[in-house]
Amino acid sequence: MTVQFRAVEVRAPDADPGDAPILHPFSLDLSESRIAVIGANGSGKSTLLRLVNGLLLPTSGRVSVDGADTARRGPLVRRRVGFVFTDPLSQLVMATGRDDVELSLRRSIRSADERRAAAERALERFGLLGLADRSIYDLSGGERQLMALAAVLATDPAILVADEPSTLLDLRNTARLRTILAALPQQVIYTTHDLEFAADADRVLVVDAGRIVQDGPPGECIAAYRQLAAGKPTRQRAE
Amino acid sequence: MQLGAYRPGSSLVHRAPLGLKSAAVVLGSVAMLAAAHPLATGAGALLTVLAYAGAGLLRELLLPVRLMWPVLLVLGGFQLWQAGPWTAVTVIGNIFVCVLAARLLVLTVPMPRLLDGVVGLVRPLRVLGADPERFGLALALMLRSVPYLLGSSADVRDSAKARGLERNPRALAVPVVIRAVAYAQQTGDALAARGIGEPDRD
Repeated sequence: MTVQFRAVEVRAPDADPGDAPILHPFSLDLSESRIAVIGANGSGKSTLLRLVNGLLLPTSGRVSVDGADTARRGPLVRRRVGFVFTDPLSQLVMATGRDDVELSLRRSIRSADERRAAAERALERFGLLGLADRSIYDLSGGERQLMALAAVLATDPAILVADEPSTLLDLRNTARLRTILAALPQQVIYTTHDLEFAADADRVLVVDAGRIVQDGPPGECIAAYRQLAAGKPTRQRAE
Repeated sequence: MQLGAYRPGSSLVHRAPLGLKSAAVVLGSVAMLAAAHPLATGAGALLTVLAYAGAGLLRELLLPVRLMWPVLLVLGGFQLWQAGPWTAVTVIGNIFVCVLAARLLVLTVPMPRLLDGVVGLVRPLRVLGADPERFGLALALMLRSVPYLLGSSADVRDSAKARGLERNPRALAVPVVIRAVAYAQQTGDALAARGIGEPDRD
């Protein structure tokens, strides 16, 4: 799968012409299996991710997923691209994990019995069957994040987009999440502040003040980000 | 706080078909409200308590009391003042029994089954342009939102108390409203990201 960004710019809906855009114009092809996006808070990482499944449409330019334009073929794109949010409580819209996974499957599986069986398989895959009927409020942060992941992956998307999936997790759960993401057959695009987690990727993008300032292998990009965070200038990414 | 989450079980009440339980709740509530008599309210209350006992959920009777007592107290006081004690007992009793009966339905039917039931019930309205899936989803989201909003109100109360603002209505109300709007927005984003509620065709 290739995610293409062509001359994409994102501006706030109520921005004046003189205001800086949220994302300055850029073009990019993402086809690697694991892609991490790093950068400071408010730099535009989440905005970049939200463009991938059409949750946000660019002000100008075009985003496409394997040729499908996110603006014109939104429902198709969202079937191909699963999205995991930072806070699983915002993502889990049903009272229990089982209900939430079944909700994900409602469109693809019409029969209630088949849907239930498919939901059980999805939960079992992450070792969550024992927690399936617990209220999402009674689950730990790590369990909730895994439940949210199971709900998204139940529909078998080709790409998984995860916006800071480890931010609310402790060390053990972060390690568990990293192991699970590493084993997925899907292409995974994620943002993170955890540089070890970013180092798991095949390719890293560094975003700063709405610009992609570095793009390349993890070692090089993480070093550049450290420099940036320390207030030292970094090499600008060529368009 | 779990006002409307399914409680797994294998009792007769759990196993009864959704249609039968829904009809019993609706028809029983309508009959009790139409009778508007303390005896009818008492009979409704007795049947509801028996149904809770049959489902092994007697302890669940307490939560609505804890949540509803301020509203029932105000309403009851008003009715007592305006129409006398029997009317007050009947009105308050009817409201409470209807809430309990409806809650028993939610407690004994898994949400996906409830969703299927609502979608099936609304399906004939498709000829008028209604989308049954959206209708069912709206109901499910409403049930899911109640515990969130209750928890959010409790958090805001604690925050206000910590800052010595527990008697300031603005400090209590404004954050609850802001959180509710943010929650609605996040839920909308979560549904949109998963393509839930979108048309089947691209």
